[in-house]
Amino acid sequence: MIPCNGWKRWLFALVVLHGIIGCAGFFAPYDPSEQDRERPYLPPMKIHMVDKEGRFHFRPFFYSLHLRVGSFDQFREGTEQAIPFRFLVTGAPYRLFGIVPSRLHLFGAQASRIYLFGSDAYGRDQLSRILYGGQISLLAGLLGAGLTLFFGVLIGAIAGFYGGWRDGLLMRVAELFVALPWLYLLFALRAFLPLSVSPLQAFFLIVVVVGSVSWARPARLVRGVVLSARERDYARAARGFGATDGYLLRRHILPETSSVILTQAAILVPQFVLAEMTLSFLGLGVPDPVPSWGSLLSSLQQYSVLVSYWWMYLPALAIVPFFLGYLGLASALQQGAGTGEIEERV
Amino acid sequence: MERLLVVEKLAKRYEHGPLLGTKGIVTALQGVSFSIGRGATLALVGESGSGKSTLALCIACLERPTSGRIVFDGNEIATSDDKRLREVRPQIQLVFQDPARSLNPRFTAIDLVSEPLLVQGRLDKREREDRARGLFAKVGIRQEKALYRVAEFSGGQRQRLAIARALALEPKLLILDEALSALDCSVQAQIANLLVELQVSLGLTYLFITHDIAMAGHLADEIALMEQGRVVEFGLADKVLRAPDHVATRRLISTAPRLGAAAPALRVV
Amino acid sequence: MRYFLLRLTHAVFLLIGVSILTFLFSTLAPGNYFDEMRLNPQISAEMVAALRAQYQIDRPLPERYGRWVNSFLHGEMGFSFAYNSPVAPLLWVRARNTLLLTMTATLIAWALAFPLGIWSAATVGRLPDRSIFGATAILLVIPDLVLALGLLIMAVRSGWFPTGGMVSVAYESLSTLQKFRDVAWHMGLPVLVLVLSALPILVRHVRAAVAEVLDAPFLRAAASHGIRRRTLLYQYALRAAANPLISLFGFSVGSLLSGSLLVEVVMGWPGLGPLLLEAILARDVYVVIGGVLCSTVFLVVGNFIADLLVYWADPRIRTGAVAR
Repeated sequence: MIPCNGWKRWLFALVVLHGIIGCAGFFAPYDPSEQDRERPYLPPMKIHMVDKEGRFHFRPFFYSLHLRVGSFDQFREGTEQAIPFRFLVTGAPYRLFGIVPSRLHLFGAQASRIYLFGSDAYGRDQLSRILYGGQISLLAGLLGAGLTLFFGVLIGAIAGFYGGWRDGLLMRVAELFVALPWLYLLFALRAFLPLSVSPLQAFFLIVVVVGSVSWARPARLVRGVVLSARERDYARAARGFGATDGYLLRRHILPETSSVILTQAAILVPQFVLAEMTLSFLGLGVPDPVPSWGSLLSSLQQYSVLVSYWWMYLPALAIVPFFLGYLGLASALQQGAGTGEIEERV
Repeated sequence: MERLLVVEKLAKRYEHGPLLGTKGIVTALQGVSFSIGRGATLALVGESGSGKSTLALCIACLERPTSGRIVFDGNEIATSDDKRLREVRPQIQLVFQDPARSLNPRFTAIDLVSEPLLVQGRLDKREREDRARGLFAKVGIRQEKALYRVAEFSGGQRQRLAIARALALEPKLLILDEALSALDCSVQAQIANLLVELQVSLGLTYLFITHDIAMAGHLADEIALMEQGRVVEFGLADKVLRAPDHVATRRLISTAPRLGAAAPALRVV
Repeated sequence: MRYFLLRLTHAVFLLIGVSILTFLFSTLAPGNYFDEMRLNPQISAEMVAALRAQYQIDRPLPERYGRWVNSFLHGEMGFSFAYNSPVAPLLWVRARNTLLLTMTATLIAWALAFPLGIWSAATVGRLPDRSIFGATAILLVIPDLVLALGLLIMAVRSGWFPTGGMVSVAYESLSTLQKFRDVAWHMGLPVLVLVLSALPILVRHVRAAVAEVLDAPFLRAAASHGIRRRTLLYQYALRAAANPLISLFGFSVGSLLSGSLLVEVVMGWPGLGPLLLEAILARDVYVVIGGVLCSTVFLVVGNFIADLLVYWADPRIRTGAVAR
């Protein structure tokens, strides 16, 4: 059982974070693929409450940015016109959770485009792209972790419950997978699959690849739990009144694995999100124009972008609160279960 | 008296060792023979390592003996096929020593006691519940506690639940493997009395495994003493305690705190 | 002796397993280098066919694997289609660079982890411990991609570190000492990233292992004999805490290796990482297999050395009293 209460706080924080990403359509001012070729690489716009004449406005506003004359990367604010910030505006259509059509956005501006996080080479709003990109990256992480845990539990349970040659064989194979340099194997696997695929195929490819590399450690942990649960007296007793293997697994053994599974999930999800980011960053993942945190960062591979356009780094920071949340959750769960082990990050 | 259980020359050997290496052999039982009368209590006494628990598992059909015969209620079960075993198993039930380990702490009391019925697939949910509540009454667990989790009961109460669970399938033979040893002294007495009552009211036969020969003397009609996988003494309780044949029996009696003082004549020379 | 042989056979099996695995993956490819070549109108169909025959792609898989193992044992690791050169020399150069980077990072990380961890364990609950704990927590939460890119941006804007390559343009004309400094300067940023990403886990493990030992009765007895605190910490406590830490060492080699792949690509360090990536993008099968195998060899060797160290450090294993 997981008695400790600290984990609930972390879980709540994670739910909120995921909720924001899930409702990306609402929180993002624009559609992520909406281009504006006239406004490439604009830096983040500042929000003002006091205008240049010293007047205070209740409604926050911003100035549009114009290139300084004679420069190609210096901007000045167009202080002639204060463009008001509007909340709950009607904007580009989207579907909430892919189902509910809506046009309501949290904020926006009527006259001009607002770039809170700057814009990219095609004038697309970075904030919107980060929010939508999160959907792809997080989903890949969650699905990948789900797949890994599924295989891990299946294999671990078979090895632990039946023992014998099955156990020996499966654990040897698991050792093989654990010993491999994780990222190298991921790459090799990705290498041997077709390079140019549609974004949807690429997405599922990544999930499958990432999910099938890391099952070994969860499998070993689950096996340990199953092995000890199998030997418990109450499992013996249940056998004594004629329980089938399936019943034993279902009612006595697998419930014991729940804490291991949850802790592993909390550790694996951020790892897999990071793996997706890495793959996409290097061009092996989800391709343009579908945004994912990784592909948003890929422009940083160009030196010019790296030097001049620092706001293109912001998508990288997006993952940090999620990492914090998941690792905090894992830590709280482990303390609750009393293992207190410091899980290694592979 | 008609014999419900007859065990003849039962032997059990275990192999242990790595998957691809030389295996060592452990002989837990070396040819055990005894019997139990219907409706009676046999105490199987021995120190740890004497093979008592292995014997219990073999009789309860949870392990297959290497050789020998077990005849239960006229049926040979040591070499029966699985189908036969499935019919016989419900009639022999086991109560373990440590209720903390033999009961799944997450289960509720009512789920626990009705588990054997659920597994056997008889009766629907309502009937199972009624049966379980009936068992609560028999072992002295209050009905309001039916939905409490096992972890919330005390040691003595848990052992009552274990007994209730063992009775769910209406067995003929109950094997109590050190069932009182993990309990406090006063609780031991309570549970022992409960067992005696149940034996009378339900016509149960008990195989009472223990290392405490004084307790054996209290509860048993007959006593069998085990040492290193063999039965070295077997007879009526009275006779075994007053005039034991075997050296091991004498040693055990003289070291037992309650009996030793009352039987100075049995001190080992 | 038996233990040693056991671990050796174990390592060899691992390598064989990995080579089979990677070779197997190559057959899953629904397309390969030659299919992509065929799409290129500049290369004639006969040329493609000739190349295919030359590289014997059409032979059955076990035969190809057998040939590959054979040539591997002769030091030949196949042919790179993209570079038009044998794979082995390509790999050695890059592997050397990766080793240089990884080994330096490992040494520095452990050299920092020990004093920090021990200090933390010796001052449990007080300010040094809490601040170290906080710092490691922050580092743990920042993934290496984020860290690498962030430091890169800072380096680029401040000009403190060079941001690419292993040597400067004028390398050949430098004196030996200057060459050494040049490489070290280029290595600074990637090593920094690797060390920062590995440090938190190591520090925490050292802290945990030492803290556990500090409570042990034998240490208290030694303290009551009047042995100086520093000797106590470094000689007595560390010895006893060595076992789990040495196992961790083997593991840290693996994770640093994985981490170095990304860091090399981001920082432009010419190691196995960028080579592997290029090979993947170019569908250069033998280079990919070679690269993966190479890094696995490093990993296995690292673990093997760790096993040997454990054997040497822990007398219990020598007598077989502790099951591995």
